[in-house]
Amino acid sequence: MTDYSDPRQLVLVGCGAITELYYVPALLEALKHTQIEVVAFFDPSTERLSALHKFFPKAKPLTAFKDLIDLQPHLAVVASPPKFHASQVIALLGAGVHVLCEKPMASSVAEAESMIAAAHKANRVLAIGLFRRFFPALQAIKALVNGGALGAPTSFRFTEGGMFNWPAASASFFQRQHSQGGVLHDLGVHILDLICWWFGDPASMVYEDDAMGNLEANSLLRLSFSNALTGEVRISRDTPCSNQYQIDFERGQVVWRVGEGNQLEMRLNDVPFTLAGELREKSSPADTYHQAFVQQLLNFVSATRGMESVLVPGEEGIRSLRLIERCYANRKLIPMPWLSEPEQSKAQSLASGLA
Amino acid sequence: MTPTIAVLGASGFVGSRLLELFHLTGSATLHPVVRNYSSLARLARFDLDWKIADARDQAALTTAFEGCDAVVNLVAANPDVIVENATASYLAAQAAGVKRMVFMSSASVHGQAPAPGTDETSPLHSHHRFAYNNAKVRAERALIRCRKSSSVELVILRPGIVFGPRSRWVSDIADQLLSDCAYLINEGQGICNSIYVDNLLEAIQLALTIPAADGETFLVGDRERVTWLDFYSRIASGLGLDLSRAARVGAPQFQAGIFDIIDGVRTSKPVQALLPVVPGALKQAAKGAIQAVSAPPRPSPWRLRAAPAPDVTEEMTQLQLCSVQLPWVKAERMLGYQAKISFAEGMQRSLGWLQFAGYPTVM
Repeated sequence: MTDYSDPRQLVLVGCGAITELYYVPALLEALKHTQIEVVAFFDPSTERLSALHKFFPKAKPLTAFKDLIDLQPHLAVVASPPKFHASQVIALLGAGVHVLCEKPMASSVAEAESMIAAAHKANRVLAIGLFRRFFPALQAIKALVNGGALGAPTSFRFTEGGMFNWPAASASFFQRQHSQGGVLHDLGVHILDLICWWFGDPASMVYEDDAMGNLEANSLLRLSFSNALTGEVRISRDTPCSNQYQIDFERGQVVWRVGEGNQLEMRLNDVPFTLAGELREKSSPADTYHQAFVQQLLNFVSATRGMESVLVPGEEGIRSLRLIERCYANRKLIPMPWLSEPEQSKAQSLASGLA
Repeated sequence: MTPTIAVLGASGFVGSRLLELFHLTGSATLHPVVRNYSSLARLARFDLDWKIADARDQAALTTAFEGCDAVVNLVAANPDVIVENATASYLAAQAAGVKRMVFMSSASVHGQAPAPGTDETSPLHSHHRFAYNNAKVRAERALIRCRKSSSVELVILRPGIVFGPRSRWVSDIADQLLSDCAYLINEGQGICNSIYVDNLLEAIQLALTIPAADGETFLVGDRERVTWLDFYSRIASGLGLDLSRAARVGAPQFQAGIFDIIDGVRTSKPVQALLPVVPGALKQAAKGAIQAVSAPPRPSPWRLRAAPAPDVTEEMTQLQLCSVQLPWVKAERMLGYQAKISFAEGMQRSLGWLQFAGYPTVM
């Protein structure tokens, strides 16, 4: 049984939509199971600070990041826009603070490497908020891939997205000066992280997207692995998607529907039915989507006390960033067959300007 | 010199294609106007000078329209917003010194199955079965009233079934076909009154520039007489599906039920205005009573599983019963409008988008 009795002071860095909609309810639940205390929250926007004040009335709202460091907290959750992650995380680690950093880990691999180095130097925990690894359904897939119960995986097809409906509190998602990429850098981080976790690093890949002067809304990635496994990933902020991950194995198939933390479908070759249902741990349902998010926080807190290892440390978080940089370095314009020839020509020149 | 155009409702299906076409062909400098940051996702593919403004906020719209020669108003929203936006956007255009507004109305102001002889001179009414139709009628009337007392030139376009990349007519029908829930009424012989989105954009280009168009309303469409059978067949073919699998159904009778009436009362403006002062317990009790009455009966455990059944909607029923090809001779005569993209080519490009979106096409 993990001992959470050691009191710890936690600060929140960045008070945008991800903090309000995810970290706040998860922290409120985690507080019941640990003795952590939220002592301060930082955001340059007083409006955003006001929005969070009601959840943590005893905590200090701060508009200066330096004031946060001066409080000498034990733990920090960094959920600011990605371009600030590296500087804020390194400053916190340098001040002796353990950090859980929201995904994407950083704007670049170089930044992420400096974050990992800072964590080692300070001997502090750096966890990355790739919380899907806490989903029982995705842990089950990991076990199937590793254990071989269905044989080796032969191919996969992942499709995720749809019309963008995240309640963005600013335009930073869509501005090149604030965001290093579009849908691949945002949603794609989760997907590429799972691919690295399940299958390892791909041997080769072909990447296409529809950025024409700014940030992509659609990405298409085809991957090959050294063991003959092939896969296709389609991500969108624009078009309707089936939102399912299908993995074909030698002896069957697994389908995961996006967002279902503890649900999985399985088909066995020669069995004319699909098994679809809830995953269980002993007699109880396994963690749901939201419970998995809370588990991420508990894992972080526990790791800072040396009682568990971090499920997604910086060394794991950087893997998807490396893949993303490979994608962008080799990007091609995705075919858009409805464009006329003059449009395609101009689209190509705009896309080339991004390479 | 290329004009500077504010595109209101730029994140929708027509707006997205407009940004693509106008930006990639350099035919205009564009200022997309959307209601919130999330709506930037699609248009952020391009490096454009966008603005955020609620469609009903005249002051915000005025700021968004500043420096623009024209406004293309493509707002697609709930009926109240469509109506309120009409006046707000026109007055904002006036305040910002805009020369012309092109307003996207709809052929549905004549109903989904208009009477023979319908054209731009046919009288309109605002007691259609669909609130959307009535909203477009009211919006047109509000704009025409504004034009009489203000200087911003106004052109109103009334397209029928606008299809193309990102169109729900394409993706919804593809989804229905793939899930064995597609259906045809009267063997699909009803007239579709289609218009490929690029043809609509051609009409918009002309409406922005032809001086004599000011104060006029134009029906616009494809050049062919397209039936719903044609429309479904092309999509089925692109997906490698046999259209004979689509259900052939008779036209059901639709009547406003008690729940439609309750919903109409609930969503009406006076009731919505009163709701904040109604005690929560009373609201919960009313909600519970409605849910109790409307709960479907439990199915018998002895009943065999049913095959997927089409959900025949009133809107689609009326559309598929349409026997009239709406004329666009006025647009041809006054604007010089021609539907440059054939229906077949438009469908081919739409299927290309389905392939782009990951649909199992067989192109």
